[in-house]
Amino acid sequence: MTDLQWARISNDAFNVALFAYIAAMVGYFAFVAFKRDILWQVSRAIAAAGVAANLISIVARGVAAGRVPWGNMYEYSSLLALLVVVGALVVLEGVYRVRSLTGFALMFSVLTMAVAVSFLYVGPGPLVPALNSYWIKIHVQAAIWGSSLFALGGITTIAYLVIDRHERREARAARTSASPPPIMGGAIDLDADASRPPGAPGDLVPDPAEETEAAHGTRRLVPSAAGLDVLAYRIFALAFPIWTFAVIAGAIWAQEAWGRYWGWDPKETWSFITWVIFAGYLHARATNGWKGRRAAVIALAGFASLLVTYYAVNLWIVGLHSYAK
Amino acid sequence: MRTALILLLLIAVASVAGSLLPQWPNSAQRVAQYRGDHPVWGSLFERAGLFDVFGSWWFVLLTTLLFVSLVACLVPRTRALWRALRTPPMQAREIDAFPSYAEVPIAAAPGAAIEVARRALRRHRYRVARDPSRPALAGEKGVAREIGSLVFHWAFILLLAGVIYGKGTGFSGLIAVVEGQTWVDAEANYDGTIRSGRFFDGFTGIGLHLREFGSDFLRSGQPMDFVSRVDLLDPSGSVIRSEDIRVNSPAKLEGLWIYQSSFGWAPVIEVVDRGEVVSSGPVVMDRDAAPDGVVEFAMPWRGIVKLPGAGEGGRDRAIELELWPDSRGLAALLEGGEPQAMLVAFDPLIRFTVWEGRLTDLATSRLDTTSLREVSSGIVGAGRTADLVDGRALAEGDRGSGSTISFPELRQYSVFLVSRDAGVSLVLAAAILILVGLLPALYSSRRKIWVRADPDGDGAVLRVGGLAMQRKPQFAEEFTRLVGDLASAAGERTPRQPEPDDREKARTP
Repeated sequence: MTDLQWARISNDAFNVALFAYIAAMVGYFAFVAFKRDILWQVSRAIAAAGVAANLISIVARGVAAGRVPWGNMYEYSSLLALLVVVGALVVLEGVYRVRSLTGFALMFSVLTMAVAVSFLYVGPGPLVPALNSYWIKIHVQAAIWGSSLFALGGITTIAYLVIDRHERREARAARTSASPPPIMGGAIDLDADASRPPGAPGDLVPDPAEETEAAHGTRRLVPSAAGLDVLAYRIFALAFPIWTFAVIAGAIWAQEAWGRYWGWDPKETWSFITWVIFAGYLHARATNGWKGRRAAVIALAGFASLLVTYYAVNLWIVGLHSYAK
Repeated sequence: MRTALILLLLIAVASVAGSLLPQWPNSAQRVAQYRGDHPVWGSLFERAGLFDVFGSWWFVLLTTLLFVSLVACLVPRTRALWRALRTPPMQAREIDAFPSYAEVPIAAAPGAAIEVARRALRRHRYRVARDPSRPALAGEKGVAREIGSLVFHWAFILLLAGVIYGKGTGFSGLIAVVEGQTWVDAEANYDGTIRSGRFFDGFTGIGLHLREFGSDFLRSGQPMDFVSRVDLLDPSGSVIRSEDIRVNSPAKLEGLWIYQSSFGWAPVIEVVDRGEVVSSGPVVMDRDAAPDGVVEFAMPWRGIVKLPGAGEGGRDRAIELELWPDSRGLAALLEGGEPQAMLVAFDPLIRFTVWEGRLTDLATSRLDTTSLREVSSGIVGAGRTADLVDGRALAEGDRGSGSTISFPELRQYSVFLVSRDAGVSLVLAAAILILVGLLPALYSSRRKIWVRADPDGDGAVLRVGGLAMQRKPQFAEEFTRLVGDLASAAGERTPRQPEPDDREKARTP
């Protein structure tokens, strides 16, 4: 097959993946709304088909361009979308048995891909000399993996804040009325917080998650707030070292390509800001009085910073990464 | 910890400003443009150091305070860890008060049972200490968490040391070398672009001879490759080795890193005045800035030849040169007004303008024409000669007025970034330690176990208590396994699982 045919396959598969993700997203939301198991099974199958199409699109793109398929924002977005959906299916559903967040993960991927195909599309082509280095395999891969985990963590954190708010309201209602409160999904674990021991004074490292049952194998439809909190922490604790590695690998590459390992280029600056915010989050989790909602807000700020690092820096801020459009 | 976090957050906020406003060290030109566009805010930001956030005194102050607070935090923690590592795990009096607790009746006598338990815990990599006063022991595991955390945080001190050492003794500068010419690492040869550290101790005298510069573009104009084929020379001028310097593939020699940075055209120009050669050699040219919507390679290149005292009556003379490396670019512009990228040399030609009068400076990068008068202009193609008095192109052998300009050859020059940073390996080591420390700091957990054997009939009752600082559900599973292990090692009498009821009973005597 010619490069052109491969490029066409890649584009077609991209569209198939996008529509599959949209259908699966609607299905997952319907599943959360109507709680019918069959909806989950169908949606999961469609999402898996979307993953397959997405993967085909990425591989075909690599063949068409004759290089690694993550050399510009369009390709990066496609891979990011893939990893977020795979993460939702494997990590959230597979490991933690949480099915209610996959719809939101799909929503993130759908938005990412829609933006990519509408505004960031470029045809497959060779890399500019500045990107032509084996470090693109290391640095960019680490950045995508870290970003996808941060995205999953961000989604979990948003869900945590919503459920937590709901639980607080229910708890208030329960205190004021004599009748037992109608509890959503029966998933509240009010003891989760009370069982936390105080962190050691002066401890610079976070006390990791006080895991609760909810994050650890119960098959509830909507996990408890405490469970989501722990789950978000776990994901961020996995994302943070990967992001740290991505920044370090970027610095090594910068030393090879630009003659300095750090020059406060906007991309460097924003990846540092994102790193600092998540470092703050991990510390906040170890500090009494900062667990839960406050830590969650910090994590969301980190997620927002990640989006700036990816979109705003490449598209609107002039810097050395501007070519990666 | 709180102080350090607040300082870190302030640094992040300052960084936001540094990424949104143009910065002097990254792009002086964009700062100047910003200041022109916003005169009031511009001067305000300038005064606040916001055009050089990362070099401003307050950023340095924030960083210094951050590191001071970090050290103040780390020293007592390190001391505490050191003490903890040298003291045996502490014995517990009330074992049944711990979150995990189990009782196992065993066949072995108390003393023997504790010895068996000690070995079993050692196999699980617990640090174990026996209670000297009774058949009991204490074990703990997971000190890697605190060690990792300390390694992670101390590594930042190492990082800072590497940065300061590297920047303090290092330098960087830009050099332009024309094909066929040799450059030597000496201060004068950096054309004022040097940024060096306070403790920079001089230049190496190493030489670089540019044999050839090559570039490769796609038809779309996308660059594919830039390569400088160079000979690296030792201070005496003999070739150490030949190398191809590309983007992403710098040459490294004696601590110097030499990077491909950019490139340009350098036509060889020979000026003859009244039959005498007054100037001869390559003229390094700069490309005009492209207006919006025009590809940069469509723009012509400019250079100036300044000849003090070479004009009529001893007046100064300057020749402005405008190079079109691909004459089809000029033709396209003149005919259709459509700019066309000039990526390779094709019938290159130079439009020149001759000025006479008084030169205010000898810099070849700009021409101040206030005291100059235009005397002629013309066009000279590659390999041709033109007359400086009337601008007319001259045929081979025609000397014209005797004052001529020739363009025998078009060469390219390559711009290299030359830098030295002896701190790189320290910084790299610090980065590796940061990662190495981070993993146990995030993923390992501290666990403690206490075992006591009380006599019970023929054998004993093994009481086991456990406590995890982190990852409690995993520890609950580990604890169950551990108790099973201890029980089978010590010869369990009647198998008993630790039930929640037992814990309740044990807790409320």
